Amino acid sequence: MNKLVIADPGKCIGCRTCEIACVLAHSAADAMVRMSPASFNPRLRVVKTTTVSTPVQCRQCEDAPCAVVCPTGTLVLRNNTVQVIPSRCIGCKSCMIACRFGVIEVLPCEATLSDRPLVSGTHVEAVKCDLCENRANGPACVEVCPTKAISVIDAALFAQAGRKRREHAAMVQAACSPGEYPGQVGN
Amino acid sequence: MAEKVLTVCPYCGAGCKMNLLVEDGAIVGAEGAHGVTNEGELCLKGYYGWDFLNDTKLLTPRLKKPLLRRHRGEDLKEVSWDEAIQFTASRLQEIKHKYGADSIMLTGSARGSGNESNYVMQKFTRAVIGTNNIDHCARVCHAPSVAGLQATVGNGAMSNSIVEIEDTKCIFVFGYNAADSHPIVARRIVRAKEKGAKIVVCDPRLIETARIADLYLPIKNGCNMALVNAFGNVLIEENLYNREFVAKYTEGFDEYKAVVAKYTPEFVEKIAGVSAAQIRQAMRIYAAAPSATILWGMGVTQWGQGVSVVKGLSALALLTGNLGRPNVGVGPVRGQNNVQGTCDMGVLPNVFPGYQKVTDPEARAKFAGAWGVSTLPANPGYCLTEVPRLVKRGKLKAYYVFGEDPAQSDPDLAGIREALEEMELVVVQDIFMNKTAVFADVILPSTSWGEHEGVYTCADRGFQRFNKAIEPKGDVKPDWEILSLLATAMGYPMKYKNTKEIWDELRELCPLFSGATYERMEGLGYVQWPCPAPEHPGTQYLYSGSKFDMPNGKGILSAAEWIPPFDKLDEEFPVILCTVREVGHYSARTMTGNCRALQSLADEPGYLQINSADARKHGIDDQQLVWISSRRGKVLVRAQVTDRANEGAVYMTYQWWVGACNELTADHFDPVSKTPEYKYTAARLESIKDQAAAEAYLQTQYNAMREKLASVVGN
Repeated sequence: MNKLVIADPGKCIGCRTCEIACVLAHSAADAMVRMSPASFNPRLRVVKTTTVSTPVQCRQCEDAPCAVVCPTGTLVLRNNTVQVIPSRCIGCKSCMIACRFGVIEVLPCEATLSDRPLVSGTHVEAVKCDLCENRANGPACVEVCPTKAISVIDAALFAQAGRKRREHAAMVQAACSPGEYPGQVGN
Repeated sequence: MAEKVLTVCPYCGAGCKMNLLVEDGAIVGAEGAHGVTNEGELCLKGYYGWDFLNDTKLLTPRLKKPLLRRHRGEDLKEVSWDEAIQFTASRLQEIKHKYGADSIMLTGSARGSGNESNYVMQKFTRAVIGTNNIDHCARVCHAPSVAGLQATVGNGAMSNSIVEIEDTKCIFVFGYNAADSHPIVARRIVRAKEKGAKIVVCDPRLIETARIADLYLPIKNGCNMALVNAFGNVLIEENLYNREFVAKYTEGFDEYKAVVAKYTPEFVEKIAGVSAAQIRQAMRIYAAAPSATILWGMGVTQWGQGVSVVKGLSALALLTGNLGRPNVGVGPVRGQNNVQGTCDMGVLPNVFPGYQKVTDPEARAKFAGAWGVSTLPANPGYCLTEVPRLVKRGKLKAYYVFGEDPAQSDPDLAGIREALEEMELVVVQDIFMNKTAVFADVILPSTSWGEHEGVYTCADRGFQRFNKAIEPKGDVKPDWEILSLLATAMGYPMKYKNTKEIWDELRELCPLFSGATYERMEGLGYVQWPCPAPEHPGTQYLYSGSKFDMPNGKGILSAAEWIPPFDKLDEEFPVILCTVREVGHYSARTMTGNCRALQSLADEPGYLQINSADARKHGIDDQQLVWISSRRGKVLVRAQVTDRANEGAVYMTYQWWVGACNELTADHFDPVSKTPEYKYTAARLESIKDQAAAEAYLQTQYNAMREKLASVVGN
């Protein structure tokens, strides 16, 4: 099962520290000197509706629609995540159309990030949450979130949480004695 | 490998300990340290708010040389420190001799300077100039909290501590947006919720805390006193108050009861815009909790009757016995990193350091003796917000502005500009060129946070040391050194070796602080005042044993009649403008506006938060530029359509130059604290058809303002 970064809207305070951490984690070392509003493209974005605040980012779908529709094989499954091979991206935006969460974008990028020769126009790259694949401490957003609203869930955690929830369900079930209801199994 | 320098974040009052990462004499990053209040966490300003030290010039340049003009109308020119000090000293002397010491007004700085420089500033004001005319930006923020709490429980600070917030069983939030103002305090609220605390929020906007609240009261702008009275009414009428506590530890119950009697929930419904049932429910939750904490911010204080509302909130805590023990209390959460400290240091017109009154002959004699002067002025001085009126009346002739930007932060900016032009002498001591410095005759450049050391006091009375990480660039000096040179030039020899020497002098003079030595604050050391002796552990919560800091030890129950807001809505100005904060920018923005990451998140002209129904009514789309005007001015701003804003009111933040909401606000004050009513201005919105032209106008205006300020420094 793929792992993903996910936030708890009950803990998010909408401060956007995660957005800056994300941009810096995916920039060259001198990013703090070169950052500008135009180059500020975090891979998770804090959404604030009337009643919800939370960062939204890639769910690392098992049957990823972005990968399915990509004509050049830019999106691949690697280390239980969906990853981008930038040199293959032609900027066709099929992935943006296919993604149900709005969390993959095709953005202009610097030539140095892509080894594909340019046919025309500008270099582009599909950009999405990569769980900070190349970062020693893992996802930067998880590390900086001041309320610890963001975490990584992998197969083991899913299994553990599922077990806990089923245990809780069992307790609830015992407490409400379904057997006493007429028409239930056993009657 | 980067060297780590342990310091304290220079932004809000949460007091977060952090490490600056230094490589080859430059800061390259920041990380959280395990301070008492932040436990290793930082918010975006802590992590990414240090690169202004590299003089990025994104907004405004660093000041690197003293600048001087001998005549108005001339350009400011670079001069030597000697020339700048001699000029300033002789001009201050001339004005003092001609008009008297009380014709000079000075400010302290609640920001990066630290407690030692503020102590020296008030000493310079009182002992050298000879006036109590000293004040700082607490006047425009939590001054009503200080006045209201001193009058009812005796001490103007947070009664309990930031660490206790997560262990209270009920958090009662009134006009306080922790997520935007203090993310690291908001973190404690989130944790309290996780630990099972009930959360009640009173705010006209659906703020982050309201999202997770058990009960949210979407109140009408301007109802505060009526609503707080209704809360008191419910506690008494429903017999929810603590009779024993009230009888033993408070006084004034009968008078209090008489005032709140008419403020029944049914009577207040219409004023507050929430149902009587909601008002009752709020108090039932608050009173039922075994421990409850009230937190408030500018939504309580920036009103014409802020002091009375603070007294009213204090009464709720007294009625329910939520004072004098852990995890309870009254919590005015201070905004700037050292605004608590600047109050502690006596940078106020009525008190010496350690809250010793200037009207007390014994205190005057003590300070006069220690400072080697025969007398000290006995009358309380002027308040910051009175400056424009006093200039008009010919009372003030010189203004020494230290680490503040009144031409951005005060209400009715046109009035401030007139006052600054009218003054015979304006001295600005700062790290950045700012809007006030445009009016200066002398600019004295100082070292910044990161370039000097000292002690800050965070919001919950905690003293912490901050340290120097890098060498300053340019011909700049620490604030206390500049003031010492000036004092000496004015015939009062003043010399300190370092900040520790200053700190030890003030500890000697202030019983509240005397046990807080530099040694105890080493590393992650955290000492909360009162701390009267070196062996005293410091005070996590005040009023232990329900003994209040009043002459007879009793808390005073106080209520006042509700007064409607000053500015009136009419056909011409039918919308309420309320000024608020945003998380990524701080104060007048000279620091955060020069940080690349923070500037990337939000830039000119700033946002106008507006409800979708109001936006539709005015024909305004999300992200469009719009005009907003009041009886005092007109500015351009960008609409942010959100139903977190209530209908009939719009919200702006005060740090923008083009979208400067203080061009619109009124200089109407609380009569006691002289704090302006920033939260209620009658305004009018106009949509703009030609958005492209408006965007071009915005860029032209912004560039022109930037160039104007940069040209003064000659960059």
